[in-house]
Amino acid sequence: MNGLRPLCVLIGALGGQGGGLLLEWLTGAARIAGYPAQGTSIPGVAQRTGATTYYFELFPRQRESDDVVFSLFPSSGDVDLVASLEPTEAGRAMQNGWITATTSVITTTGRIYSTAEKVAAGDGRIDPGPLLAALQGLAQGLYLIDPDATTLPLNARLLGAIAASGVLPLEPDTLRRSIRETGVAVEANLSGFGDGLTRGSASPPVERQPAFDPAPAGFEAELEGFPRPLRPLLGHALARLLDYQDRDYARLYLRRLEPLRPGADGETGLLQESARQLARWMCVEDVIRVAQLKTRPQRLRRIRRELGAGDDEPVVVHDYLSPRLAELTALLPGSVAAPRPGSGLALRWPTSSPLGYGVLKAVAGMRRLRRSGRGFRREQATIELWLAALAGCAGRDRELALTIARLAVWARGYGPVRERGLAELERLLSGWRQRLERNATGYRADLQASLQRALNDPDAIPCGGDQGEQQ
Amino acid sequence: MSRPDSAKATAGAERSFAAQVEKLTLGAGEPFHGEAILAITKALLQAGVAYVGGYPGAPVSHLMDVLADARDRVLTPLGVQFEASASEAGAAALLGASIHYPLRGAVTWKSIVGTNVASDGLSNLASAGVTGGALVIVGEDYGEGASVIQERTLATAMKSSMPLLDPRCNLPRLVALTEQAFDLSEACQLPVILSLRIRAAHMTGRFVCKDNRPPRYGLRHPLPGARFDYGRIVLPPSTYAQERAKVEERLPRARRFILEQGINELVPGEADHLGIILQGGTWGAVLRGLRLLGLADALGNSRIPLLILNALHPLVPEQIDGFLAGKRELLVVEEGNPAFIEEQIRALAQRSDSGCRIHGKGFLPEAGEYTADVVREGLARWLERVDAPATGAGAAARQREIDARVEQARARLPAAAPPRPPGFCTGCPERPLFTALKLLMRERGPIHVSSDIGCNTFATLPPFQVGSTVLGYGMSLASGGAVGPALGQPTVAVMGDGGFWHNGLTTGAANARWNEHDAVLIIIDNGYASATGQQHIPSTGSTPWGAPVRLSIEQTLRGMGIDWIRRVNAYRVADTLAVLREALDADGGLRVVISDQECRLARQRRQRREQAQRRQRGRPRRQARFGVDAEVCSGDHSCMRLSGCPSLTLQAADDPLRTAPTARIDGGCLDCGLCGEAAHAAALCPSFYRAERLIDAPGWRRLLHRSARPLLRLLGAR
Repeated sequence: MNGLRPLCVLIGALGGQGGGLLLEWLTGAARIAGYPAQGTSIPGVAQRTGATTYYFELFPRQRESDDVVFSLFPSSGDVDLVASLEPTEAGRAMQNGWITATTSVITTTGRIYSTAEKVAAGDGRIDPGPLLAALQGLAQGLYLIDPDATTLPLNARLLGAIAASGVLPLEPDTLRRSIRETGVAVEANLSGFGDGLTRGSASPPVERQPAFDPAPAGFEAELEGFPRPLRPLLGHALARLLDYQDRDYARLYLRRLEPLRPGADGETGLLQESARQLARWMCVEDVIRVAQLKTRPQRLRRIRRELGAGDDEPVVVHDYLSPRLAELTALLPGSVAAPRPGSGLALRWPTSSPLGYGVLKAVAGMRRLRRSGRGFRREQATIELWLAALAGCAGRDRELALTIARLAVWARGYGPVRERGLAELERLLSGWRQRLERNATGYRADLQASLQRALNDPDAIPCGGDQGEQQ
Repeated sequence: MSRPDSAKATAGAERSFAAQVEKLTLGAGEPFHGEAILAITKALLQAGVAYVGGYPGAPVSHLMDVLADARDRVLTPLGVQFEASASEAGAAALLGASIHYPLRGAVTWKSIVGTNVASDGLSNLASAGVTGGALVIVGEDYGEGASVIQERTLATAMKSSMPLLDPRCNLPRLVALTEQAFDLSEACQLPVILSLRIRAAHMTGRFVCKDNRPPRYGLRHPLPGARFDYGRIVLPPSTYAQERAKVEERLPRARRFILEQGINELVPGEADHLGIILQGGTWGAVLRGLRLLGLADALGNSRIPLLILNALHPLVPEQIDGFLAGKRELLVVEEGNPAFIEEQIRALAQRSDSGCRIHGKGFLPEAGEYTADVVREGLARWLERVDAPATGAGAAARQREIDARVEQARARLPAAAPPRPPGFCTGCPERPLFTALKLLMRERGPIHVSSDIGCNTFATLPPFQVGSTVLGYGMSLASGGAVGPALGQPTVAVMGDGGFWHNGLTTGAANARWNEHDAVLIIIDNGYASATGQQHIPSTGSTPWGAPVRLSIEQTLRGMGIDWIRRVNAYRVADTLAVLREALDADGGLRVVISDQECRLARQRRQRREQAQRRQRGRPRRQARFGVDAEVCSGDHSCMRLSGCPSLTLQAADDPLRTAPTARIDGGCLDCGLCGEAAHAAALCPSFYRAERLIDAPGWRRLLHRSARPLLRLLGAR
């Protein structure tokens, strides 16, 4: 019996990434070089962003006859090369047993998030770091492609990396000829191929930690009263609050945190979480704030850059603003009756025109009116309720206090989403002392469940939907 | 708010299969390189077919696509008639031409679903019997990548007495068997099914071509005259005679043909106390399994004798008996269930008292695809049990070594890969419709939505999870018939335009009107059978080969007396939502909402070409996309739970106060507008913006732009 075996290559991709073309280049190159080969795919799901695979086998001896047995399926432990256009798709290949110590792996450092990761209200992302480290330790060789390093086609760069890996007996010139004969975007793909062939492996991705803004001047003495490691965070928060309102408001922030300063044990976890949540919450994105953010000096320039627009090219920006009447009238004093929830405007606001920009700029300038408005007072009342529960629990049950701190996540969003979140906080925290004393276990469970809902699927709230929309 | 019905006739999907069509013209001695499904198409022409038809569906859509493009260039000059059948039932009926006349015909569809739709015609065809060879090429949509229920076509073939070929996955063999299938059909007067699994349909390879053969009769050479023969009519007493003929004459003739023409293949092996009988389609997996267990090589030589069944039905008893002679242990490799082949072989072995033990299911799984791994594990288990001293010990040791290596590797995996089912494409016009339906349910609580076959089935997946039942193509409306009255609320049925013309018009709309169903039917009139690759349908505006014919869904429904019909532009979510509310609240009877936005993939293809032309001529062009202001983004991802668009994605927050990532719209954005419209309709955060760049703008626009800049600077924009 013949001792040779076909070389086995598995390509993992998402539909639309060009895996089919990559396979065509490989089968074409095998034909040109005279090697018996077979490619196959399951493209039924490939056209619509689902995970899919392409499979290629090449018999490493030139032969005229068609007697080589190829398999339509990869066999676990018998794959020579896994080339994947997304890192977690290499993970899937590993899960399926297609990557072992004899497998060479080529993949990218750029994540394409799945729906499952996106729909979580919190952070549902899978970090590719540990996966790439595991591949580094396991595979015969790991070659990484940074998809953002150039705009050249990713599948062609992968083909270049396949050539560089030397797993298949296909010369770069043969592959180049195959690209030409296939005839799809030949020049771009040849450049991509060249890039993949010569660039060398990229470094694993490192998630950049966001930097703290420096603390504004004049708060040095107040900050002295807080633990040193938290001062950068507090300084950042003060800068944010100053941008949002004024120095008094920033001072109020620190005063509110004072009761949460660590006790004798020096444990700062609760203070840190509360400080983060409170700063975010105190900068409620009301109509004034949105107008302020939408007229940030650099914003229009940034958008022009994203579109690659030249200096002389007109760019028209429309903002989708849908303020509810309740939000618009939130600036009015509390004595004015609140409108029915649910009604509101649906604006496509021409922010790039001088008039559109000017109106937003004028709204952004109404900061001073904010404090007397009904909306502001409503938020402050809920903040006080939260702080009281937080400070009250901090002494008796740190775990519970931390849960309460995290629950501030409900104070987010706009319109009905925000209304729903605030209502949930009020439901949870009013009468917290009595409820804790009456049935501590039940209360803790209630708070935990609410937190999980907030972080996972806040839409699945028992009341059955947005209250504002139910009118 | 939406385009008038008559303005929609789209020019077509604008795809081109010119390169594939060229391969269909290859002559004798020329090498063919390409996919199996195209090789089969070429084999049909080499076999002298007079007519071809079918209904698209993976994995055989490509056959229909290429034939449509080849109609004028190849088929018509050759004298071959091509029809894009309105359903599989239509395609099966087309084979009626072969009953009386010496016309070879082939049709194709996706199985098992297409076979189910076609089975009325197939039963009648098989009973009447054929004169010209009749071939059904089914794409066996089974295993990974399949989109239908998991059943096998073999059951249909057996109950209707149709020979079923399941060819070994090797291109020259596949082509030869396709040509022989017509001879087989003519020899036994039965229609023949040729089954091709998903991976086999897309497998590439090479073979040496023959010349295409013009049919004896067809477009260019008319038949001498029409025929009548009561013996071919399916009424008694003909039907009784036909049933007898099937078992007494036709199937025996099929067995003789299979044996004499060497349809099935024998591979000898030295361990002749053992044997494996396998389906042709599992050949690659069995040989790979044996090789990895040290019992075969890469050129198809095996230590264990093999009988490869390229014909699964009918089996040839004398061939099976001959193979079993002298063997002690036999394994049947038969994918799917019931295990018809294994049971037949067991019965044969018992009848001939062969003394050979028959194994199959048990060592191999009852259900599921027979991948290379599944087959190898089964082979190792079987050999260890029945042949431990000879082949078994070595095979089991190799399998254990593979398992250990794989386990060791798998143990290092830090996290499972995320689920990634298929979903709507970027910019798909179906997505905003389901955004509206999801919002409607947030307002009104759960509504029973009947789903259909097509892209709309993807709405049952996150983030929408809309659609409670799927009963079949065009069946959504009918499947809610008994639900509405029991729930005490009108039901909602979603149906694509493909489903409407396939079956939904009669089974759904006529039925609902006739029975006065209190229901809302949403028809997604995107212009194509999009799920299978933008094939033309009666309402596209033209036939697959470009003839301008257009049937209107709206006029058809009005002709049936259905008056409550509204058209919506689904991308305007708030308006769509208002129409849906109105439809639900309308009194009794069938209400129809037609969403008439074109499939984005098709539209994109056309626009890309138009843009390229404008660029060449230096004409003004717009480039628009949506964006998110990360600072404004509320970070709870509620926009994603209402969209699932691939280009609406996440990015790490650039703010230490945030722990969750913010939304981002990547470069794949097609400016469909859903983000903004959904933000409006659901009052989401005001972070979305649409930015439009004017390239090669006319002078007055540039002047306006230049004069606005100092004003903006004055207001604070840099």
